[in-house]
Amino acid sequence: MIEVTGLSKKYGSLEALKSISFKVEEGSVFGFIGRNGAGKTTTMNILTGLLKFDDGKISIKGKDFLKNKHELSRLIGYLPETPSFYDYMNSYEYLNFMGEIIGCRSKNLKKTVEELLDKVKLTRQGKRRIGGYSRGMKQRLALAVAFMNSPETLFLDEPASALDPEGRMEMLELIEGMRDERITIFLSTHILNDAERVCDRICIIDEGKILLTENLSSLYKTYIQPIIDVEFEDDPEHKIEPLKKLEWVENINIESHKVSIYVKDINTARRKVLKEIANLDAGIISYRIRKSTLEDIFMRMVGKNELI
Amino acid sequence: MNSFKAYFKKEAIEAIRTHKYLILFVGTVFWALLNPLMLKLLPIILKNYITAELTDIFTYFTRDSAFLNFLGDLFEMGTLFIAFSLMGLISNEVYRKKLTFPYSRGVDPAGMVLAKYVHYAATISIFILMAFLTNYFYINILFSGGILSIGIVLKSALLYIFYYCILLSILIFFSSIFKRSLITGITILVLGYSLSLFNRFKTIRVYFPNYLLYRAADILNIFDSSLVSTAIIYFCTTILFVFLTIYRMKKIDIA
Repeated sequence: MIEVTGLSKKYGSLEALKSISFKVEEGSVFGFIGRNGAGKTTTMNILTGLLKFDDGKISIKGKDFLKNKHELSRLIGYLPETPSFYDYMNSYEYLNFMGEIIGCRSKNLKKTVEELLDKVKLTRQGKRRIGGYSRGMKQRLALAVAFMNSPETLFLDEPASALDPEGRMEMLELIEGMRDERITIFLSTHILNDAERVCDRICIIDEGKILLTENLSSLYKTYIQPIIDVEFEDDPEHKIEPLKKLEWVENINIESHKVSIYVKDINTARRKVLKEIANLDAGIISYRIRKSTLEDIFMRMVGKNELI
Repeated sequence: MNSFKAYFKKEAIEAIRTHKYLILFVGTVFWALLNPLMLKLLPIILKNYITAELTDIFTYFTRDSAFLNFLGDLFEMGTLFIAFSLMGLISNEVYRKKLTFPYSRGVDPAGMVLAKYVHYAATISIFILMAFLTNYFYINILFSGGILSIGIVLKSALLYIFYYCILLSILIFFSSIFKRSLITGITILVLGYSLSLFNRFKTIRVYFPNYLLYRAADILNIFDSSLVSTAIIYFCTTILFVFLTIYRMKKIDIA
């Protein structure tokens, strides 16, 4: 289990993390979601020992991270968002290099490297220099490095961001497979569909603060409030101002010609929304009421945070 | 020890594939070969362009003066090549984020720094020894006269090796504190050249590493008692800079 209490980090005067606390259960997939600059990567870098922190406490498997950093780092695998390798090496050489650092026995190392390359589908390109790899191939090699020595905890920072759709699906299947093997996964992503598919627990971070940490199932129960999507013929930006002033409207999200209305009271909304939209004097293409997705919950939480 | 072994191998692969061995070879051994040849051939090539007096200077080169000429040139060229080929030894790793994986998997910074230092100290030592022997071989073929012997050459080479080992320890330290490798390169170059000025001051010169070069050029009496202070300072300074680099790499934020 990973337990973070009151973690703070400053970059000069900028507070990147404002006393955040959360727990990651053993064998679960913990989705860490937030906008760019929210503090996701800073948290990851601290938890993997790459960055110092100003205040707080981290314990992994019940052991204090700072006091047992060397021992605990052997149990951790990390896939950074933009992995960087020695470009003049090939995959075999790089994995051997990392294996030696981790302390893999040389007898097993060759076999381990071959298995890992096979797992991430890089066996054919294993003898090519890494400098000639595509971003997706580098991401797969990074995953092989993260898997080295069968870590008990994996930190994955945007693991699918550089992958093509097929690679992304494979990555998600891989994460699901690891969850079945009871590997603890700390997954940072901005692809909310991915988080929705593989995570057991979701944590939303914004501006260095944790806005929410909850199991995915109870999250849907709490934020079951439907959303009303309306598509307009023209840009609705200026026309929807009256809707924002309605007391049963919590927030409005505009994306091109589509407007998502987040409501406080669905019963009132159902009765009144059509009348209010008709009063806007704007051409409507479609109208529907749908259930909240993780993306909606995220937008709602982040929106609230902006108002604070 | 795992980190030391892994990084030692990595440095060897890197030096081959990024041509660092070749660059250091050119700056030392190739220069040692070229130096006496140029000294011999220059008056012939330039005989129509330089005065007879100047031609005479070239003609009267003995084995000793040719060797001393090589020492001066090796100091200038060697320092230049070493400073600029190794200036990114640590800064490139840190600021190009090459250390993310090793640090996240528990690399021992001491093993890493020592592997880098030992690898390049050994490389430079071998190349300098090769350079001195190559130069001695060609000097013996091309020039005559003087007292130069293999013993003198080896003693001089040893002091040059010590000098470059201390310079390397300073370089590795600066490379861990400066973000831009070029700053490290220029600092080492300026430091290497400017410290030679202290050789003019008899009372304090023994406390500076460039005194090793001064003694290496005194071929009549290379090893004397004044070298004891320099040797003590040499060992302490080298250990200090390597230790400071390890300390810095233990405290540094990698991400």
